[in-house]
Amino acid sequence: MGRIVYAAAMSHVLHPEYYDTNVGPHGRRMVEDLIAVVRAMGRDLVARRPDAVVVVADDHLNVFSFDAVPAMCVRIGRSVRRMVQDDAIEFDRALDGLPDRYPVHEGLAERILADGLEDGFDFAASWSGALDHAFLSPLTTLYGERPMPPLVPFWVNCFVPPLPAARRCFAAGRHIARVAGRSPWDVAVIATGGLSHFPELSLARVGESDVEFDRRVVGWLEAGDHEALCGLTTKQLHASGSHELLNWMVLLGAVTPARARVRFFGEMGRIDLAAAEWTLA
Amino acid sequence: MSRYEVNVLLYRLKKDREFRARFAADPAGALAGAELTDEEREAFVAWNARRLNELGGSLHLLISIPGLGAH
Repeated sequence: MGRIVYAAAMSHVLHPEYYDTNVGPHGRRMVEDLIAVVRAMGRDLVARRPDAVVVVADDHLNVFSFDAVPAMCVRIGRSVRRMVQDDAIEFDRALDGLPDRYPVHEGLAERILADGLEDGFDFAASWSGALDHAFLSPLTTLYGERPMPPLVPFWVNCFVPPLPAARRCFAAGRHIARVAGRSPWDVAVIATGGLSHFPELSLARVGESDVEFDRRVVGWLEAGDHEALCGLTTKQLHASGSHELLNWMVLLGAVTPARARVRFFGEMGRIDLAAAEWTLA
Repeated sequence: MSRYEVNVLLYRLKKDREFRARFAADPAGALAGAELTDEEREAFVAWNARRLNELGGSLHLLISIPGLGAH
């Protein structure tokens, strides 16, 4: 029987130059400290020897457009490409030079998708979506030069309203855990995305974060108070700029009732950074 | 108010280099066929990113259009 052997969540712009430019030297230092923590977490992840890594992240209107935005989408197929964009923003440009192609764990991806539809989760499927910084920045920091196991990329719509509810994302994570449990594979789950940033997705408020909100979230993660987290409304997530917490909610569903070990929490001002892991029996 | 038209244009400005160049040279001309309200059109032509955001333009598009990105 398979199981979830490791889970971790972290911010996904692990790019010191971006914070140096937009925040200053203290932003650079803080993200460099976070990167060191994520590298250390990578050693824990590798030691658990997962057969597949489910990576839950959001699209920044690169894979999907306003023509169609799925609430949640499973990447299926044999392999997935690194996103290549003309005139990419700097932290996507930072992916240049990484491998062009990564294996997909077809078996697990197909089961998450098909069993999900059978069980009432109307996931979308993508055969061609590519991976941007939200996936590859954390993965390459975790794995470094070591070989990466096959992936199951899983997108959550965190930015184009209406968004899926926190409780629904949690339920999707529970589904992923059930699928892993009846599979032959040991599975790791990685969720990415910052804590509070860009409140209300308002250009006028870029540069702010809601530290009080994030302190409450971190407390709930450490206490394993998943009911409090499931109770967060879309309105609250929007007001605080914590949209990407929806990715973390999928992970929480997969590991519940485990408590988080928060290995990094940094209040930068423009964004709050975090990295947490869940040790599973 | 439909957010769709504004965001389709922002997406095109982000992804379509040729359209972006036409818009930079002649904003009103590039938008001639677009179904926009007067308010939306004025915000595009003046490249008022904050106003476009208030009118429903996605923040993540607005901050990632090469040469026009508003941080």
